[in-house]
Amino acid sequence: MTSFVAAHILSCIIAVPFLGIAAMALVRDEQWVRRTALIATLVTFGLSLILWSQFDAQRAGMQFVERVEWMPTFNIQFAVGVDGISILMVLLTTLLCPLCVLSSWTAITTRVRAFMMLILLVEGAMIVVFTALDLFLFFMMWEVTMIPMYFMILLWGGPGRVAAGLKFVLYSLTGSLLLLVAILGLHLEGGRTFDIVALATQTYSPDVQMWIFAMFFLAFAIKLPMVPFHTWLPDAHSEAPTAGSVLLAGVLLKMGGYGFLRFCLPILPDACVTVAPFILWASVLAIVYGGYMALAQSDLKKLVAYSSVSHMGFVTLGIFAFNNQGIQGAVLQMFNHGITTGALFLAIGQLYDRTHSRSIGDYGGLHKPMPRFVALLCFFSVAGFGLPGTANFIGEFLVLIGTSQRSFVLVLLAMSGIVLAAAYMLWMLQRVALGQPTNPAILRLPDVSRRELITLLPLAVAVLFVGLYPGPLMETMDASVTNLVEQLTSLRPETVAHE
Amino acid sequence: MSAYVLIPLLPLAACLVLVLSDRRFEGRGHRIAIPAIGLSFILSVGAFIEVLSNGPITVPLYRFVDSGTLVVDLGFFIDQLTVLLLLLVTGVSGVVHVYSSGYMIGDARHSRFFAVTSLFTFAMIMVVMSSNLLVTYVFWEIMGLCSYLLIAHSAQRPAAGKAATKAFLVNAVADVGLGFAVVLTFATFGTLDIQEVLARAGSMDGQTINLLGWAGVDCPIGTVTLITLSMFMAVCGKSAQVPFHVWLPFAMEAPTPVSALIHAATMVNAGPFLLVRMSPLLIVSPAAMTVIAVMGATTALFGALVALTQSDIKKTLAYSTISQLGFMIMTCGVGAFVAASFHLLAHGCLKAFLFLSTGNALESVQAHGHVDAEARPEAKSSAAVLVGALLLACVPPLVIFSGPYESMWSSQGFVSGRVAFWGIGLVTVFLTAMYLVRGALSALQSGLFGARPSLLSGPYFLSILASATMLGVVLVTVWTRFAEFLTPAVGRRLPLGEVVPTATLSVPILLPLAVAIGGCGCAYVLHITRRTSVLAQSTWMKRCYVHLLNKLYFDEFYEAYVVEPMLRLARWLSRIVDLRIDRGIVGAAGGTVSLARWLLRVVDLGIDRGVVGAGGRTVGLAGWLWEFFDTRGIGDNVDRLAYTVDAAGHALDRGEPRALQHHLLILVVSLVAAIGLFYWLVQ
Repeated sequence: MTSFVAAHILSCIIAVPFLGIAAMALVRDEQWVRRTALIATLVTFGLSLILWSQFDAQRAGMQFVERVEWMPTFNIQFAVGVDGISILMVLLTTLLCPLCVLSSWTAITTRVRAFMMLILLVEGAMIVVFTALDLFLFFMMWEVTMIPMYFMILLWGGPGRVAAGLKFVLYSLTGSLLLLVAILGLHLEGGRTFDIVALATQTYSPDVQMWIFAMFFLAFAIKLPMVPFHTWLPDAHSEAPTAGSVLLAGVLLKMGGYGFLRFCLPILPDACVTVAPFILWASVLAIVYGGYMALAQSDLKKLVAYSSVSHMGFVTLGIFAFNNQGIQGAVLQMFNHGITTGALFLAIGQLYDRTHSRSIGDYGGLHKPMPRFVALLCFFSVAGFGLPGTANFIGEFLVLIGTSQRSFVLVLLAMSGIVLAAAYMLWMLQRVALGQPTNPAILRLPDVSRRELITLLPLAVAVLFVGLYPGPLMETMDASVTNLVEQLTSLRPETVAHE
Repeated sequence: MSAYVLIPLLPLAACLVLVLSDRRFEGRGHRIAIPAIGLSFILSVGAFIEVLSNGPITVPLYRFVDSGTLVVDLGFFIDQLTVLLLLLVTGVSGVVHVYSSGYMIGDARHSRFFAVTSLFTFAMIMVVMSSNLLVTYVFWEIMGLCSYLLIAHSAQRPAAGKAATKAFLVNAVADVGLGFAVVLTFATFGTLDIQEVLARAGSMDGQTINLLGWAGVDCPIGTVTLITLSMFMAVCGKSAQVPFHVWLPFAMEAPTPVSALIHAATMVNAGPFLLVRMSPLLIVSPAAMTVIAVMGATTALFGALVALTQSDIKKTLAYSTISQLGFMIMTCGVGAFVAASFHLLAHGCLKAFLFLSTGNALESVQAHGHVDAEARPEAKSSAAVLVGALLLACVPPLVIFSGPYESMWSSQGFVSGRVAFWGIGLVTVFLTAMYLVRGALSALQSGLFGARPSLLSGPYFLSILASATMLGVVLVTVWTRFAEFLTPAVGRRLPLGEVVPTATLSVPILLPLAVAIGGCGCAYVLHITRRTSVLAQSTWMKRCYVHLLNKLYFDEFYEAYVVEPMLRLARWLSRIVDLRIDRGIVGAAGGTVSLARWLLRVVDLGIDRGVVGAGGRTVGLAGWLWEFFDTRGIGDNVDRLAYTVDAAGHALDRGEPRALQHHLLILVVSLVAAIGLFYWLVQ
């Protein structure tokens, strides 16, 4: 048994959530449904930690590769494997899912079984997205992540859930459609294979690259999201239940950034280099614009959602700087944004569970009844704007270092985004946590319970750990990123040239 | 690994214990914080002795970041400058902690207070000891966070929350400079190790960078100048220099010991420290030095003038700190880094003492400016100490202005503007003497007597402190030794050992002394003999007084021209533009379906609406611009225009499909289009 798990650890990680869904169908008691979900997600997390410990950081290529013929007529395989970049995304996914289950423990009262199943379904699908070595498999699971999210928003969401869910599906479907066309295009141009590794070894004519890139770009830009494709996100985030918001912000957005790293850079380098200047400016626009929009929000969840837009701008900025620091920073930023924004949504969710209000104006003076909660909220807020010493800072700083090799103006503009982030986060804190309560009922709110504390503390530890000792994460992806950058520069030597 | 690692780690450990123990030490937080910082102080003394005999110590710790060519090692570099600052930081912080243990009794968040002050001390120690610019930046920012937490200590007061946010945001804006300087340093030197950067600073002379290259504009700036000026921007934030000084007076919302900590031990001292630390880089760029000197001089004058007009003793002290820091920065700007460090240390000791004695006096008066009805005669000594302290604060500018300046100037070879700085310096000394004496006299007159009858915070403790302060003054006598000790750690234009400044009784010393005494006398005459009416008769004088009383309207200016427009624009963008993008994109998706309808509308009503909408938008833009330049009374109009535009948008939007079947239809159509595109691609 153990040897089987050791030999097929990646398949096991993928299988556990789906097995959890099956087990849940057999369990009758609601409490046991929750426990099953928690156990399944925890086991997945444990397995992914084992995967990480066995991962050889010195090797650049895919590891733990497993290939099974799936549809031989179409040359489609069930092929999975991880490299230094995808393993971090897997870790992030499996870390956040148990916390999502915990956060829905009492918050979800209707159709608990269905909700927990959806969480597990998203988890399984996302792990496959981040590990797939076959384009078809990737696309299929990319689509699968959307459906549970839609139902989460629609069935357990806030008052505006119908419109938000519809908008989410509309955007996502448009993106997927383009993705499908791009994938089929690659399949035909690249010698009728869906194998990502094989596709990356071939060269494509610049015209073909541009077309395929355009479609990939739109698909990923919608997912990420980049301004001006971001308008689905604030609505979807704010209307989704807490677990849904955490999954959306924490992991689903990263599929966009991951897509850029996995497909655009290695397979379509010429197109990437050609459009890089535009994407860099668009990223800075997203950073500043997202931060600016967050400043204007009066809804807590929308504020965090717009801050996500701003943070994801750093991801594209780093990726399209085409150097080690930029890409490592981008990957770290994805990981860290998952942790901090996930934590912020969890914290806001706990507040929402108590008061059923997301409006900043309804709070004030929370420090009196809920000192521990305020301490945690404060911690995650300052982590959210990238205070040095917390995780986000490392990612943002590396991205800035990477960007400085292309343009200093972009660095300065991106930095103004960080100032904006400090402004909206602290202003939010001031209005929510400090001062006098707007409503006497606030004084009777209970402080965080033990379960809620357990939900938030792992993320606080992760934020501090990555912030003060990012070494392990950076070593993990170092070889893969270096390989990616070398591949790019060998194809296009001028990409490293300074502006 | 040496024992000096414990200097920062002990305060950190105290903080962690207090945070993690979760109120188990409520009310007894000082019992953990004080020993930790006391031990740090003892270790600092040890480090001082070692550096005195063996020179700088390097303590490597672990690799912080390793990405491609970017390698950041977390480690300590303890040289002459560091040990002096360590003594100041741990010493003053220890005294403040002892004082707070009495002052904070009964505070609801007693252990939180000590946790944050320990963290504050830790961050400052790390800034002082760091051997890497990135690590400096990290703890530089963490210090900002600590100030935020401490200013917001009395969280139930809305003013405290506002002041805290203000302090952090002003610093955040300024710290962009340091962040940019770090990025730029890495791009230029390829390393962030401070000593390596400083060693290679000279070779970068003449290298330029073109920031506006992307726009096709050719305006090269010296790389070192740019790095230094970016750094200086952050220094302006932390040390409350002129455009960024607004946070410091508001930081008085914090409990008084925090003010002592911010003004004397941590936070504001980081600015001059960074300048002195980077002095070998600074002197490469005379242009940057000039800017620094000018900004420092401006701040010194501005702070002194405003301090002269404030009636609140804490506000006077805040502006006096601003002024003194301006003095230090100016001193750095003219190249007298040793003198600046000396001023830093002396000012730190004196200001801590001043704040703590003020805290005592104010505590008995309850509210600022209101006199306790039953002034206790036995507490008179406390007020006397306050008076003495105020007078003592005259000393640093005096001392610094004497011998060292003269010799430093000649040794560094910066002659330009020397006379001007002499003039400004003298005026500042005059004003400083004036406002301090005035403060002391009004304190005496208003009968600000009374103190808490406690051993620790009472006169007994303060007199010990006073003697400690006197010790600092005695340092003046060992100035030559001090200069000799510190000189290897700072940048110089000329080779080492060329000029050793000496303090002898000469005209350069006597002149500032005379000016200071003149300031004291002037204040005395104006205050005691009530001759102010003579000055008050001139309208010009009155106008100046009113402007200065309002601190030259910096706060109001920022509020009206930075904060408000920012927020308004953000809300406006969010309401109009973001919704518009949303509609635009959803509409574009629906466009395939509603193409026919849209065409119909264009022919039918659309042109009409379009014209109205476009007109509205143009007027809206103009109106917004107008409002930007003339903030009063236009708000309604802009709102109305915004609503017009909004309504136009709604009208356009009404025709768009909303039902599910429409969306499905869109999907099918897009699918067909995509497949068509795909076929075309493959062919």
